[in-house]
Amino acid sequence: MLRYIARRIIQFIPVFLGVTLILFVMQNVVPGDPIKLIAGEKKLDPQTEINLRASYHLIETDENGAPIFDEEGNTIETPLWKRYISYITGLLHGDLGRSYQQNGKEVTKILSQKYPYTFKLAVVAIVLESIIGIAAGMVSAIKRYSAWDVGVTLVTSGLVAMPAFWFGMLQQLFWGILMKQWTGGGFYLPISGTGGPYAEFPSWVYYILPALTLAAVSTAYTARIMRSQLLEVLNQDYIRTARAKGLSRRAVIWRHALKNALIPVVTYIGMDFGGMLAGAILTETVFNWPGVGFETYRAISQRDWPIVMGSVTVIVIVVMVINLIVDISYAFLDPRIRFDGSNNE
Amino acid sequence: MSDNTTQPAGEQAVEQAQAKEFSAAPSRTLWGDAFQRLRRNKLAVAGAIWIILMVIIAISADLWVPQTLGNPTQTDSTTMASMSRLPPSLEHPFGTDTLGRDVLCRVIYGARISLAVGVLATAISTLIGLVMGALAAYNGGIWDTIIMRFADIFLAFPYTLFVIAMLAVIGPGIQNVFIAIGVLGWPSIARVFRSAILSVKENDYVDAARAMGASDARIIVRHIFPNSVASIVVYATMNIGGAILTESALSFLGMGVVPPDPSWGIMIQDGQTYLATQPWLMIMPGIAILTTVLAFTLLGDGLRDALDVKMKDA
Repeated sequence: MLRYIARRIIQFIPVFLGVTLILFVMQNVVPGDPIKLIAGEKKLDPQTEINLRASYHLIETDENGAPIFDEEGNTIETPLWKRYISYITGLLHGDLGRSYQQNGKEVTKILSQKYPYTFKLAVVAIVLESIIGIAAGMVSAIKRYSAWDVGVTLVTSGLVAMPAFWFGMLQQLFWGILMKQWTGGGFYLPISGTGGPYAEFPSWVYYILPALTLAAVSTAYTARIMRSQLLEVLNQDYIRTARAKGLSRRAVIWRHALKNALIPVVTYIGMDFGGMLAGAILTETVFNWPGVGFETYRAISQRDWPIVMGSVTVIVIVVMVINLIVDISYAFLDPRIRFDGSNNE
Repeated sequence: MSDNTTQPAGEQAVEQAQAKEFSAAPSRTLWGDAFQRLRRNKLAVAGAIWIILMVIIAISADLWVPQTLGNPTQTDSTTMASMSRLPPSLEHPFGTDTLGRDVLCRVIYGARISLAVGVLATAISTLIGLVMGALAAYNGGIWDTIIMRFADIFLAFPYTLFVIAMLAVIGPGIQNVFIAIGVLGWPSIARVFRSAILSVKENDYVDAARAMGASDARIIVRHIFPNSVASIVVYATMNIGGAILTESALSFLGMGVVPPDPSWGIMIQDGQTYLATQPWLMIMPGIAILTTVLAFTLLGDGLRDALDVKMKDA
């Protein structure tokens, strides 16, 4: 077991370095001089420009952060490898650089204000995904080929084939406009705090539609995986044995089949958390949700690359860590992985 | 003829009947067999018909759409005000958009972009994936380790996010969408192809070919590729739908196709503003995406069953 965990962690390190290298290269080959992006239409005087370059670590500086000049009085551009080292040390200290807009505010600060919203939304989405997906998949498997099963198959195929942002808009259209007299039309508005015409709704109401939108595709996959897993487990010998011993079908499903069928489903849901953070860009844009996704979308349109890359970096690292945890906990749950996983690479 | 006379008449008849049966049976190649099975799968046939229909419409669009529905990109400032956001009618079956352009016309031209992105991006990632997968599986050892670790690094990124970051670097535009979706999609195909090769490689006929002195390249091209092509076809078919979805998301975020070119994602984004008053502006392109992606999924599922390719569910 320990050996397995150690091996997984050792495998994690090169992947982590590779990922950060790719992110760094992307960040540093973005066309356009960052200083020009910061200045916009304004004309900077040379001294301000030099100071700005120094503060974004684009030119060599001394310990106090003052720019260093060569013999001819020109600034010295920092070589890429030095920038990568300072980038990765910054990353390990939780420093993602500074925004080109917003007065050079630190990316970490901007994102940490937005993350709670995205995180809460993703948690609600995961809860919805688990409940709806597992229940739908279970009933589908138990009542195989029934009208319900066909319905679930149709709905999941549709959900997987439509863009999630479009699904979100359809919900806005349905709940906010067609069902207006019932919902007051405010169902899809962003969490507005207090006041506003729809203040009578408790704040959790505003989570429903964005969370459903964020969860839609994953719920479809969860239901499919649940269905096929349960069907597979129900076909196994030990289930037949349990039935032959006289246990009721219900007891067999709940006590014996469900636990084993759930392992891959739970893995999928766990690994999907990162996918949700990525999907948040689209969902939050549709619903004007004030989270990281919307901030990223805003940053893309304003070419504020440090924020874009910062949020990508955070999501990628979260995804990698979650995958690592899921892999390790999977080995705890399923002894087969621990013992023959090593030959199965 | 003397042999015949020694045989009992009954046996002879049976033999003749058998010979007749064999000659009447259709040729049983893998693909002929698979095609027969695919034809019995109604959903897959429906998907295939829809795709063929879309391809025909998209290719022939220049011949009949501008004459009947108008130009998909140009606007006419004199009639723009009176033509703006008309509801669906006989003349404009899907209505018109804010700039007075026919929505059906833009959906049709959008099909060109979506299908092109789907097919070309998939072709790029399949090609890279095939080469990488073949190198990894056939050479094994250090090649395998390096390529598969490289694939792991790529797969550590959530795919859509990776494409968004890539486009942030190389800028929006249709060529860049091909490149970003295509180049970043190779690791999953490489994995599929690698495992397909690994299972085929163990077969005796590969050993036989090698014993007869066939070169590595010949073994890959003549023996391994034909025997793993089924899984690639299935994977690529399903991948096209995914690429179309990714393109629509990118265009929706303003990072993909650049207006005024008609892309389904852009049309949905344009329609978002008028959700309350002119919902058809976003509904129609969305239905186009849904049906097209669904068609590729159904065809892919059908091919998977017909070719008996083992894949993980979902």
